[in-house]
Amino acid sequence: MTRSDRRDFLQHSLGALAAVALTPSLAELAPLAGRSDDLTVAIVGAGRQGRAMLQELSKMDGVVVAAICDTDPGRLKKALRRLRGLRGYASVEELLEKEADVGAVLVATPTHLHKDPAVAALAAGKHVYCEAPLAASVEDSAAIAKAARASDKVFAAGFLARSNPVYRLARSFFVSGTLRDLAYLRAQDDEKSSWRVASPDAERERLLNWRLDESVSLGLPGELGSHQFDAFSWFLGAYPTSVRGSGSVRVHDDGRKVADTVTCELGYDDGLRLQWASTLGNSYDGRYEVYKGSMASFKLAWTHGWMFKEADAPTQGWEVYANRQNFHNDEGITLIADATKLAAQGKLKDGVGLIETPLYYGLADFVKCIAEGASPACGAEAAHRSTVVGVAAARATVSGDEVAIAAEDLELR
Amino acid sequence: MGTRFELALEGSDEVRLRAISEEAFEELRALEAHWTGFGEASLVAKVNRLAAERPVALDEETYALLDEALSVARASRGAFDPTLGALMARHGFRGDADAGAPVAWGYEHVHLDADARTVTFDRPGLRLDLGAIAKGRALDLLAELLREHGVERALLHGGTSAVVALGAPTGADAWLVALGPEPDAPRARLAGRALAVSASRGRVSEAGGHVLDASRGAPAPAATACVLAPTAAGADAWATALCAQPDLELPPALSALHRADAPEAADAPWRPLGAPTNDFLHPALQRELPA
Repeated sequence: MTRSDRRDFLQHSLGALAAVALTPSLAELAPLAGRSDDLTVAIVGAGRQGRAMLQELSKMDGVVVAAICDTDPGRLKKALRRLRGLRGYASVEELLEKEADVGAVLVATPTHLHKDPAVAALAAGKHVYCEAPLAASVEDSAAIAKAARASDKVFAAGFLARSNPVYRLARSFFVSGTLRDLAYLRAQDDEKSSWRVASPDAERERLLNWRLDESVSLGLPGELGSHQFDAFSWFLGAYPTSVRGSGSVRVHDDGRKVADTVTCELGYDDGLRLQWASTLGNSYDGRYEVYKGSMASFKLAWTHGWMFKEADAPTQGWEVYANRQNFHNDEGITLIADATKLAAQGKLKDGVGLIETPLYYGLADFVKCIAEGASPACGAEAAHRSTVVGVAAARATVSGDEVAIAAEDLELR
Repeated sequence: MGTRFELALEGSDEVRLRAISEEAFEELRALEAHWTGFGEASLVAKVNRLAAERPVALDEETYALLDEALSVARASRGAFDPTLGALMARHGFRGDADAGAPVAWGYEHVHLDADARTVTFDRPGLRLDLGAIAKGRALDLLAELLREHGVERALLHGGTSAVVALGAPTGADAWLVALGPEPDAPRARLAGRALAVSASRGRVSEAGGHVLDASRGAPAPAATACVLAPTAAGADAWATALCAQPDLELPPALSALHRADAPEAADAPWRPLGAPTNDFLHPALQRELPA
């Protein structure tokens, strides 16, 4: 066996070990494989997220998007141009009344408008996928979660770390104690964006700019941060007990009151702290979470993930042959989902990340759970808890006060 | 697409124009994710995996893109061919060449069902590569989005090789686009039209440039072609066709320039293709360059 043969062999062996122990099933790439009956779905909300859902669902065999609903005629018209045969509705009530064959409803309305379509769809006996956070208020979030709990249909929420193969792989390392003692947590979600939407009609423009409307928007901590807070909670198996934050308009000085730059600090009851920052003024390094442990760190960036081992960390042997990437003075072991498949295809190389988008895996998990009667990666109660954390972070940022998150705040009452 | 896109929008409300351009870039990211030939996640990748086994459903934008690609392929008698994916990979232009994979091409093996909105291949091993038309089509869709927002004057480009003009800049009757960095490079006059340039010297492998001659299954002779057309998709595809085969008959709405390139000697002079037009300014073309 030559040196390169040996390396290939070991890479394949590593891939096999990792895949058996750590990676999710490849069935996620074809959630309805082998089934003869199609799943017919409808999307409520034809904006940015509704369009993304339409695009991801178009890649799934056995899923038919039959209808779409939006109160904005321009957006609805645009969505209907994207797929022949798609039926359009201006209200959820009309959609539910006329689309009896629809099995699942996907809610992609603005966050503060999730409740009515989600609850109505559940009441109509539909499976429901609801974007996250669940709502802009704890009350609305609880109403959705209670409706989901009372239903015998599948309810999944769009906190996408939980269905993300890279995060599942990282979490398996985490729960096995690879990081050892946690020092602190850090995360950011930075992008260069005004968050503003233009429309020729002034009233429509006001409605479309709900993220900049301080009366309904959870701002950066709720809209972006809650997804990362949820990832940490899922890893830790614990929720923060306090949050404080501050925000200001640093870059987009266009009359808005919703902060374009925010920092938050979340505390856990064992003294662990999570430092979180977000800005709409700079995109450098984008979105990621860092877990700093005494034996290793994770950097998880949604489509990619890396583990950085400390010099005194115990070795398990396979690390020698793992795929690595350099970051300034450090070298990260790439956390590769579906390593066996990639190794077999000769694609186990630098820069390998998710095959599909995080949204695809979230929707695929939902579809698969409907087909198999299983529980989704993120159900109603977990989504409600992370929504409560997001709402608390938004409140803390606006008020400047520390907001306590009691255990009972996280429970459905 | 995998290239840099830029939008220049003329207007007085900067906040609004920024919001519109952000929407345009979001649209672009979605189109890129859908049509890219890299990776396995795009709809085009799904078509390549499955269309030889069974019909694959397409959304309207992808159906229209494939329809136009096949239309140009037929009109150019295969000089532009959207099925060169396997061949591009074999020549090392896609970074994922599999030495054992079958290499097949030929647009006539692609079949669209207009009623069902599906695509099928009647030949295994066929792989779509829409790199020579998708960038143009994306620019056309962005231009449409800008028009819907009431933008009347703008210049959009993708990778500097495909350009769309909305109107003309205030005080001028056209946008002037130089076809190269040289001071005496020809300039194209653009007003409400699109421009695309295809040059085989852009990316090269050991066998030659990245513009492939489908009739031989090998890189075309070194050349540069520049096309003005009503749409960027049309300009993009025809620039590739003319780069490979400059003697094709040009459709009526198009005008073009062609140059045989010599990597180690002076390039041949530009020559116009088709009927004379005022679309290009260049001394050698007996047009006056502005000061």
